[in-house]
Amino acid sequence: MTEDPPGTQDPVSLLHSPLHARHLALGAKLGEFGGWAMPLEYAGGGVLAEHAAVREAVGIFDVSHLGKASVQGAGAADFVNATLTNDLDRIRSGQAQYTLCCDAETGGVVDDLIVYLRADDDVFLVPNAANTAEVVRRLAAAAPGGVEVRNLHLDFAVLAVQGPRSADLLAALGLPAGHEYMSFIDTVWTSPAGVDVAVTVCRSGYTGERGYELVVPSGRATVVWDALFDAGAAFGVRACGLGARDTLRTEMGYPLHGQDLSMDITPNQARVGWAVGWKKPQFWGRDALLAERAAGPRRILRGLESLDRGIPRPHMVVHSASGEGNVVGEVTSGTFSPTRRVGIALALLEPAVAEGDEVTVDVRGRVCAMRVVKPPFVVASTR
Amino acid sequence: MIPDDLRYTAEHEWVKVIDGGVRVGITDHAQEALGDIVFVTLPAPGTSVEAGQPLGEVESTKSVSDIYAPVSGEILARNDVLDARPELVNADAYGDGWMIEIKLADPSSVDGLLDAAAYTKLVSEG
Repeated sequence: MTEDPPGTQDPVSLLHSPLHARHLALGAKLGEFGGWAMPLEYAGGGVLAEHAAVREAVGIFDVSHLGKASVQGAGAADFVNATLTNDLDRIRSGQAQYTLCCDAETGGVVDDLIVYLRADDDVFLVPNAANTAEVVRRLAAAAPGGVEVRNLHLDFAVLAVQGPRSADLLAALGLPAGHEYMSFIDTVWTSPAGVDVAVTVCRSGYTGERGYELVVPSGRATVVWDALFDAGAAFGVRACGLGARDTLRTEMGYPLHGQDLSMDITPNQARVGWAVGWKKPQFWGRDALLAERAAGPRRILRGLESLDRGIPRPHMVVHSASGEGNVVGEVTSGTFSPTRRVGIALALLEPAVAEGDEVTVDVRGRVCAMRVVKPPFVVASTR
Repeated sequence: MIPDDLRYTAEHEWVKVIDGGVRVGITDHAQEALGDIVFVTLPAPGTSVEAGQPLGEVESTKSVSDIYAPVSGEILARNDVLDARPELVNADAYGDGWMIEIKLADPSSVDGLLDAAAYTKLVSEG
């Protein structure tokens, strides 16, 4: 044994979720995420049990470290549509959309985020914790008169309720659950103890399962958390940490900003071009991204599946299996798939490497064989 | 959980004196810190190992750590059950989750290891 893994300490300088005391009471192991101390896993749980709860029953994640911001005023939606990549005209009021904030010059990804379209003059954003300030800064600097961009990072908590029993759990509490994938409902919900809570219930998540993300005022977070766990026992509920969130999203091949997307990794390279409104006349990074798309990206994010016991991890080097064993890329995300029981990865590879090819990964000096595959690694059940 | 009748290393292995040698595993503190263990890689019987040198790996969902030989000698046995059931290291670190048995090159080498009190102190000081 070498050393304790990171994340077992709780540095005092980090921000805490409004649910922090609940996590400590549940024996959470904490880790640092974008400046926040958040649960990695819980005592009596662990990544495998928490992962299984989401695939088979229902798990609840505190993802309050995620950013929240609003863009409001006449022309707010038009402004968002002229800056962020996805085409807001593809959705209507009451729907949410995955989109990207790219750098206007390079097309590199400042952040990936979810937009909630409430009305033409009211858009809500959920960026990543570490990037919220930068996304807000860029939008605020570019906003036309009458459009106001506000950082609401600490104003709201976000609870992700994910898994095949998630709809039953929400329905049991009288929360809306029947709406379609990537749509949301703003409601005032009355807790079993009679507390009114303004809650936004969005059919979304990051796990590949049917699920919901609940946006609630920070001061009411414990009311919702407690109600979910009180009612959840009947549905096999489990508190889930961000360790399981990472294995769940990797099984789906969902990119994580900072690993699979970054200022150096464009949407073309990460194969999230589906989240770009190519026909729009204007969005940040349009010229650079169209040029790259026409020329063909110099590397492409693909899936790797281990053919032996090797577990690929971020930054491990990928070689061609044949010939000289040349370097053909690098792992950006990699972990053990609890569902498939094998090592899986996302890796940026040279365009010549194709699905079905065999490659090798240098796993701490050991040559491990992997197959290039098309994610997801596990069939998604989001709808 | 640090049993009194075992010896320990600063790298969080435990050592139990048995007939003909020692049995070795990782401590409860170590499995707790690693999280869910998914693979354990161990040397074959007959392999020579040297105190302080890596003899295998234990890999969890989130990280991988070397297992170091607490003493020098020759591998007598490996716990083959862990190939299929690595989670035994989490469930029973001092029992069914044992890893290898070593025939000691020097029978007195165990005396140089930490006792339970010293290991408890090391863990509590982080």
